Amino acid sequence: MPVALRSATFAVAAVALLGTAATGRAQEPIRIGVLQPMTGPATKNGTENYTAMQIARDMINERGGVNGRKVDFLLADIPTPTAAISETERLTTKDGVKITLGSGVSLLAVPVSQAAERHGVFHWETAGAADIITKRGFKYTFQVGPAAYRYGQAAVDLTLGELAKRLGKSPADLRIALLWENRAFGKSVGDSIRAYAKEKSVNLVYDEGYDQFLTDMTPIVQRLKDVKPDVLIAISFPNDAILFQRKAKELDFNVGALVGVSAGYSNPDLRDSIGDMVNGIFVSDFAARVNPKALTPDTLKIADEFFKRYDDKMKRPPAGHASSAFSATWALFTEVFPKAKSYEPAELREIALKLDLPEGSLANGSGIKFTNNDWPTDPKDAGQNLRASIGVWQWQKTGNNQVFPAKLATTEPVMVPLPNWSQR
Amino acid sequence: MTTIGQLVLSGLLIGGIYALMSIGLTLIFGVLRIVNFAHGEFLMIAMYGAWAMTRYLGLNPYYAIVAIVPAMFLFGVVVHRLIVMPALDKPHLVVVFATMGLSILMQNVALMALSADLQDVPPILGGRSFTFGPFYAKPELLIGFAVALACTLGLRFMLQATYLGKAIRATVQDGEAAQLMGVPVPRIFLITFAAGSALVGLSACVMMPLFSVFPTVGLNFVLIAFVIVVLGGMGSIEGALLGGICIGIVQSLSSYYIAPAFGQMFFFMLFLLVMIFRPAGLLGRKGEATLGIND
Amino acid sequence: MEAAAPRAKRRGGRWRLLPERGTLSLFELVLLAVCVALVAVPLPQYLQDVVIQTFLWAGLALAWNIAGGFAGLISFGHAAFFGVGAYTSSILAANYGLTPWIGLWIGGLLAAAFGAVLTLVCARLRGPFFILSTLAAAEVVRIAALNWASLTGGAEGLSILPIASIANMVFESKATYAALMLGYFVLIYAITKTVEGSRYGYYLFAARDDEEAASAAGVNPLLARTGAMCLSAFLSGIGGSLFAQYFLFLDPTHVISPELSFQFALLPALGGLGTAIGPVLGSFVITPLSEMLRSYFGGAGAGLHLAIYGGVLVVVMLYFPSGIAGALQRLAERRRKGPP
Repeated sequence: MPVALRSATFAVAAVALLGTAATGRAQEPIRIGVLQPMTGPATKNGTENYTAMQIARDMINERGGVNGRKVDFLLADIPTPTAAISETERLTTKDGVKITLGSGVSLLAVPVSQAAERHGVFHWETAGAADIITKRGFKYTFQVGPAAYRYGQAAVDLTLGELAKRLGKSPADLRIALLWENRAFGKSVGDSIRAYAKEKSVNLVYDEGYDQFLTDMTPIVQRLKDVKPDVLIAISFPNDAILFQRKAKELDFNVGALVGVSAGYSNPDLRDSIGDMVNGIFVSDFAARVNPKALTPDTLKIADEFFKRYDDKMKRPPAGHASSAFSATWALFTEVFPKAKSYEPAELREIALKLDLPEGSLANGSGIKFTNNDWPTDPKDAGQNLRASIGVWQWQKTGNNQVFPAKLATTEPVMVPLPNWSQR
Repeated sequence: MTTIGQLVLSGLLIGGIYALMSIGLTLIFGVLRIVNFAHGEFLMIAMYGAWAMTRYLGLNPYYAIVAIVPAMFLFGVVVHRLIVMPALDKPHLVVVFATMGLSILMQNVALMALSADLQDVPPILGGRSFTFGPFYAKPELLIGFAVALACTLGLRFMLQATYLGKAIRATVQDGEAAQLMGVPVPRIFLITFAAGSALVGLSACVMMPLFSVFPTVGLNFVLIAFVIVVLGGMGSIEGALLGGICIGIVQSLSSYYIAPAFGQMFFFMLFLLVMIFRPAGLLGRKGEATLGIND
Repeated sequence: MEAAAPRAKRRGGRWRLLPERGTLSLFELVLLAVCVALVAVPLPQYLQDVVIQTFLWAGLALAWNIAGGFAGLISFGHAAFFGVGAYTSSILAANYGLTPWIGLWIGGLLAAAFGAVLTLVCARLRGPFFILSTLAAAEVVRIAALNWASLTGGAEGLSILPIASIANMVFESKATYAALMLGYFVLIYAITKTVEGSRYGYYLFAARDDEEAASAAGVNPLLARTGAMCLSAFLSGIGGSLFAQYFLFLDPTHVISPELSFQFALLPALGGLGTAIGPVLGSFVITPLSEMLRSYFGGAGAGLHLAIYGGVLVVVMLYFPSGIAGALQRLAERRRKGPP
């Protein structure tokens, strides 16, 4: 080969090599394992959570990824707890992921985080709320959404505060009924409400759990009619919430106020299913859409973009858990990852524990501050986000509006006491 | 008093609807001696059909009966030809697990084609109840119960008075003898299975105003249906009605007086008690309990 | 119900090729060798998980088969025995520090007691009446476990601490678990073969196939059946404990579920009811299939993997009505008889 051509070839080769060396590392995507129930009874939660997470991923990738690296999801279907364990292990051992997101419902969050911890994998939990999640001394599980007891407490606080006032009764005289679906989330919240009510010396005139496959609500509604509570706090999944509301109307069960807790009552489809019966119901949940004044302007823009994209894709607004999935995932991408170099679980854990974001930093109004065996209320607790936003919103004719706590609220509670069925 | 009365009334009405849902299954069992494990999924697709007709054609689910019942009949014919018939001369468990496979297939095809969202139809009469003194009953429940009664009576009439009915009863009593007497037994099997499927379609239309539909809705009802079929006595239409009503009332009363968490447990325990003392079911014929499934 | 293969003509040499009642065949020995290899050879962890589950389910299917296949007691409630075993050993370990090595026997015995009660209570029932009664009984146990939260943890589930030690029966290495499950499965297989070839086995088959004739011949069908159910329940309970020790998480809705009960019956039915090798073949086909389908297609979302699984099930049941074992036997017979 002529000398000039050879030199030129070397030069081109050298530049090409250098070029690839420089960009090669930066182009390797960040791989995250996502565990969601995509089949089985919890599918609705799983698909909505996953959609929200995908929006976060798309948004970050459109902005150039994190530190020049795109984010890649590996999705695994976890219809049952044993599948949750097998799939989490498969993602970690076969696909080598060291970061996982999950898990759709509380029941599955427990085994997913358990399997993740066994393999030293960094697990960012967005939906699971059962209190036990953070009480197992795990180092790498971070529950970004509020723990179950917070939902219960918000419901009780609203009841003893605003509702008691509007019903014209003192908290001590208030007759409160508690109805919980016998699933991990329902039971966990129910237990916490019972404990909190005792702490506040409040009267639970009814306290029953029911099977998730129950098809006839008559005995429950009839008993509630006989007990005549002022406020009913109910933790139900979508199917039973619909059955309950219909039966309440059918049997003419009237109550001063109904405070639903997440799950069924916060499902945006509820209005499609039961129409105007939904107006006036309170929902203790992570906020789907908070008072814009509670968010920083940048966060507000992100939140708005999420809402728009979700609505475009699913043709309805996101439920609280979907909003939480987005907010938590976005926070992972924008608050944790940018500070990481190796993306190893130990490093991510360090970063996560140092996070000190005030409320309003995340799209759903939450902040971030994790416990690390340093929480006075329970030193055994680790990985719980004490600044997860929880509040109560209300189904109103004008939309779903936040009513509690005051700093997140956009309107006042209305329809307290609830008009009787005959007047609605 | 009002309380017990309401509980019994509501239990009776919902029990009748459970029975309606189970009549198809009991007919199939009585004649073909097989249990269709995809029963819940037949209910699910029929409910989706009723919902779709309501949502997209503006009919209400009761009008949809006109279309759904024949459609489910045809569906039953197809399933019978493809799955049941090849399995009839094989060991009993084959049809059990083949229909179980069908059940899983149908649930997930529904999930892929539609979504996991719950779908509902608007209530009639704005969801208001009729009142009978201090007791309440929704029109949808009353209609459902009426349909269940009508269906039971209609089937009984058909079985007693028509040739088809006699042929079916003959097949139930003794398939070989019936064949020797000129009854086209394979055709009877086909018609019965398809009719059972059509009956599920009927109950789906009546249940759509009361329940939401989603791909796994069958799971909530299939166990109840099986219990009713066996409780009432295999193949006994009136037994299914009686069984359904018993289940409805027991669940109602036990959920109220003991705890709603145990509601289902008590009707399973009732079932076991009946099995101990009347092993052929409430209205089963004596000796049926010892009928092997390979007969 | 197919009985085991008729006695083959000896084809020179002591070993049969395919499984038969009463003796060991080459097929079984080769299979055992393959299983040992699967344990000993270092496989990737996710494959080891499939192997572990396959062995465990093979054992559970064999346990079910003793009642369902041999004694004709088709039960759709075996998840109750499984659950009783799982919860007993786990609760004893969590609350009293009792090692699961002992706890599992207690769980098994408790399950056997349940089995005896169930059989005696349902003594007069046959066919679908019996089947539904087992289902109803299992549901009663599930609902009880779900609501007795102080004992079982209820809906939130029971977690077992993942502290690896031999005394805890928790192991770091999946190979150890695989060996444990293999031991369980081989043990039950040995028991099954022994029963199959024994006089007791003949009593069971007689009682299953023609109760009146058996009675007339002096067999006590009720006693034979109860024994079979007790043994079946005992072994299922032990399997439950092993399950708990591997997955480290139990909840009543998934551990005492009708779905699980169906699975216990499906594997033997698919593999060949009433034979010893049948349940094994059933598990070896279905367990990897369902795990792999979910792993490969689960990410596509929306239930594709289960739709495929359901479809496969329908087809296989219709084309292999005597199970895979039955198909093998027909193959063997055809080879022996030569081309038609």
